Amino acid sequence: MNHREKTDYDVIIIGAGHNGLTAGAVLAKKGRKVLLLEQCSQVGGLAAREEFHSGYTAPGVLHDTSGVRHGLIQALDLRLHGLKVNPDPPSIYAPQRKGKGLLLHHDPERAAAEIGLFSTKDAEGYKEFRAFVNRVRPVVNGVLDNTPPQLFDSGGGVGWQTLRRAWSVRRLGKRDMAELLRIVPMCAADWLNEWFETDLLKALLAGPSVYGTFMGPRSPGSALNLLIWECRKGPLVVGGAGALVDALQRAAKAYGADIRTNAQVDAITTEGGRATGVSINGGELLESKFVIATCDPKQTLLDLLPSGAINETLEHRMGTFRARGTTAKVNVALDKRIQLAGRPGEPVEMVRTGESLDELEQAFDPVKYGRYHERPSLDIYIPAITDSACAPEGHSVLSVLVHFVPYHLKGRWNYRERESLGAAVVATLSAFAPGIEDSIESLEVLTAMELESRYGITEGQIFHGEHALDQLLIRPTPECARYGTPVEGLYMCGSGSHPGGGLTCAPGALGARAVLTNS
Amino acid sequence: MMNRDSTLSRRTVLSAFRIMSKKYDAIVVGGGHNGLICAAYLAKAGKKVLVLEMRHVLGGAAVSEELYPGFTFSVFSYVVSLLRPHIIRELNLTRHGLEIIPLECSFLPLPDGDSLCRWADPELTRREIMRFSSRDADMYPEFGLALKKIAYFVKRIVDNPAPDPTSSNPIELLKMLRLAKSFRSVGDDLVYLHTKLLTMSAVDFLDMWFESDVLKAPMSVSGIIGTFLGVRSPGTAYVLLHHYMGEIDGAFRAWGFSKGGTGQVSLAAAAAAREHGAEIRTEAPVVQFLIRRGTCKGVVLDGGEEILAGHVFSSLDPQRTFVGLIENGQLDPDFVSRIKRYKLRGSSGKVNLALDRFPDFSCRPGDGPHVRGDIAIAPSIEYLERAYDEAKYGEFSQRPYLNVVIPSLVDPSLAPPGKHVMSIFVQYAPYYVNGGPSSWPEKREAFGDAVVDTLAEYCPGLKDAVLYRQVLTPWDMEQQIGLGEGNIFQGELSLEQLLFQRPTAGWARYRTPIKHLWLCGSGAHPGGGVMGAPGELAAKTFLGTLGG
Repeated sequence: MNHREKTDYDVIIIGAGHNGLTAGAVLAKKGRKVLLLEQCSQVGGLAAREEFHSGYTAPGVLHDTSGVRHGLIQALDLRLHGLKVNPDPPSIYAPQRKGKGLLLHHDPERAAAEIGLFSTKDAEGYKEFRAFVNRVRPVVNGVLDNTPPQLFDSGGGVGWQTLRRAWSVRRLGKRDMAELLRIVPMCAADWLNEWFETDLLKALLAGPSVYGTFMGPRSPGSALNLLIWECRKGPLVVGGAGALVDALQRAAKAYGADIRTNAQVDAITTEGGRATGVSINGGELLESKFVIATCDPKQTLLDLLPSGAINETLEHRMGTFRARGTTAKVNVALDKRIQLAGRPGEPVEMVRTGESLDELEQAFDPVKYGRYHERPSLDIYIPAITDSACAPEGHSVLSVLVHFVPYHLKGRWNYRERESLGAAVVATLSAFAPGIEDSIESLEVLTAMELESRYGITEGQIFHGEHALDQLLIRPTPECARYGTPVEGLYMCGSGSHPGGGLTCAPGALGARAVLTNS
Repeated sequence: MMNRDSTLSRRTVLSAFRIMSKKYDAIVVGGGHNGLICAAYLAKAGKKVLVLEMRHVLGGAAVSEELYPGFTFSVFSYVVSLLRPHIIRELNLTRHGLEIIPLECSFLPLPDGDSLCRWADPELTRREIMRFSSRDADMYPEFGLALKKIAYFVKRIVDNPAPDPTSSNPIELLKMLRLAKSFRSVGDDLVYLHTKLLTMSAVDFLDMWFESDVLKAPMSVSGIIGTFLGVRSPGTAYVLLHHYMGEIDGAFRAWGFSKGGTGQVSLAAAAAAREHGAEIRTEAPVVQFLIRRGTCKGVVLDGGEEILAGHVFSSLDPQRTFVGLIENGQLDPDFVSRIKRYKLRGSSGKVNLALDRFPDFSCRPGDGPHVRGDIAIAPSIEYLERAYDEAKYGEFSQRPYLNVVIPSLVDPSLAPPGKHVMSIFVQYAPYYVNGGPSSWPEKREAFGDAVVDTLAEYCPGLKDAVLYRQVLTPWDMEQQIGLGEGNIFQGELSLEQLLFQRPTAGWARYRTPIKHLWLCGSGAHPGGGVMGAPGELAAKTFLGTLGG
């Protein structure tokens, strides 16, 4: 690759995680000269593969690729760059300490059949639930997949985009529209309790409503999270997050973007209120017309910009933007495939623990006091099914996101505390996979502290800012909600921007679009 | 040919006929403060009104009773704040006996013997807060100002029938647009702040302003009164604002005692109603709405008596109204299921004490202005959140949040000289307690003990001073005054059942699916508290339609 002149770049992108790579690929494809700067030695950020034990590779910290935007896959021709997607969405298993558990198949009929073993009423209810989600999906995705509308145009009238969105909501018909509006401020527990009676089913569905948040299923706002999740989930990427990163990187390079790793941005340079470039590795200056930051917005605005670059109001808003990490990652190397007592022999890819909404809420409670529950809530991805390269023959890997584990532990995080966390995870696993403790070759425990230092995310918040109702509606602040910032030429489009975190790549794509519109 | 004599006699005949026909223009079911205020407005407009109250006393939850000889208790609701000034004016409630004595302060005793008092006087307050944090002392008046600005704006929504975004009526949509634009005129900052207020938790919202727990804890509590949420639950910042909007004589955030107890509010409204010709009957429980061909024609009392009316106004909670008092089949099943999922879920209790002497608080002993306001047992945010955690799983809080007032200190008419009444509001006491709501009577005394024991930690002589104790659980509130599931607001103040969704979308303007049946209690917009607004707005909506 030709080494470009320092002043030749149109866009410098801070961070080559999944959003940075997406933005880079989109901009490069449209003919912009792009440079991506990644502080780690490999690209991918929270989606990057990690060989955590010799011969065993974990998928990224974030392991759920079911939300990747398919419009983006088309737009970037990612399939030409090696991306493969499963034909169907994954099934999700909710184990029980005593019993077969519930395997929720992606096909509503098959799922209903299994739910019927618990409750015939819920079997019917589940089909109606899916039908409702299908009806509102276009509206919800319309909001998620587009730049947030300008509420008011410069003349003080209501903006055109707002009207369009409002119109699409009204076209749902009075009943669904009323229901959609009603759900937004609710808690997942109340909403699910209206639909279903089976505890296990409700717990399974409620999981994503609270992952990566500082909420439990009884917290208002979690119902919106749940709805968003239900609307956007689709099939998994073959090979998981790592394969997604591979394809994005190939695409970005193919379209002409440059990528530099081991390049730590320590400052964004400005002149006369305009962003002019960045300084990396303690002194090397790089110039560009635009700078896009995909690191978390607190870092961008409060650490990387020179003081005085933003006003006090924005400083205060960003300072009070809540980004408390509540997730730990545990990667498990096993010398055989995991044996699920409730489903012997069945190839299960995704598992969520918690047998009732109360259990999920109880798992959440301690994080408010700087502790975690002895039976924490686990979100497990078993990659060996589709990615046989991640472990030696016959062996396997478990990627476990442990929820409601505080960044600030009462006492302190140290080696012993991390060991205790690992033990709690293993104990929880062995309740439905007995004997697993004897198969463990290695266990890597990353608390929010390790995630912060390794991936550069403030307080280890995996979504760059909590998915709370106010922080989803306006993300991260009003003046930065449409990717631009008050600093001319500086854009933000990581997970801390609309529509939020997780492996969707939407913020990256929309941020790139904003830059294209303005350049 | 018409001569004067025959005109007079015609009038006499007609009025005699009206008395005999016993048909009212309006029946108001429920003699609580909203029902009585609704009745007063209707009567003032010349309507022939009958109020029917099931108990022997008027007032519902806004009631004063002499439960123990010589001691008058505000049995349920114990402070007044949200009562709209224009209602007081328009109904002349002051002339009818309403007198509000402003609360002087909010007192927070702490377990380590320290305490914080916030006064009406800003300088005094500043000095108190400064002992804990000088930054917070500076911030406190700023916070008040910002909230006042937002409250003015929100008040415009609250004081009017809620606009309905799901309506297809173009006039409705224009109203929504105008509302949206007035948002804009308030300025971006306040729009942002308002969004935050609607969605954040009380603690997170207060974290944006203050650093000391000692300030945040008692302030956050107004976000959870009467809800089944914790101070860290999203959505509680809005409830904080709702309570902040309390006004007395135009001064925001000023709360007060009603002289003679909270029941005086209801009695004053009743007097106003009677003055305009309304009839009020007590010990007249309504068991059904009389409905023929989809129209409400009147009511049926316990015992079978039917009373006819052109319109019926129900101030009962939505579930009792639609599910309890309407026969099966009269309502669309979809509407019924929506009402059934309307959340009542009472979460609070009350303990009323008659004391034979003044109860000393060990951190600030003796009588004084500090005990003439409200006293909060809310020593930290963690304490408050843990109280909620317990209740989530079906138990009352062993270490509950308490809000205590000793109104006899400022209103000696309430108790014999030297003796006192003490009102203790408690959270949390979940209606759906383990064992089911009907098991509450077995737990009542233990609940009362937890309350008194907790307070006694701050007020050591308390137990010895108790002459009489009344413990009210959510079950008791439901049984005694018909408050569904003991929710003091006739339904949680959560966003999905407020504004255009109270009690349910499409029916938030006091009309109901049954023609001539109206809703006028706290289960209608703008919600609960001793506000009088639902009663007033229901009456005015009705009167507006018929041209007065």
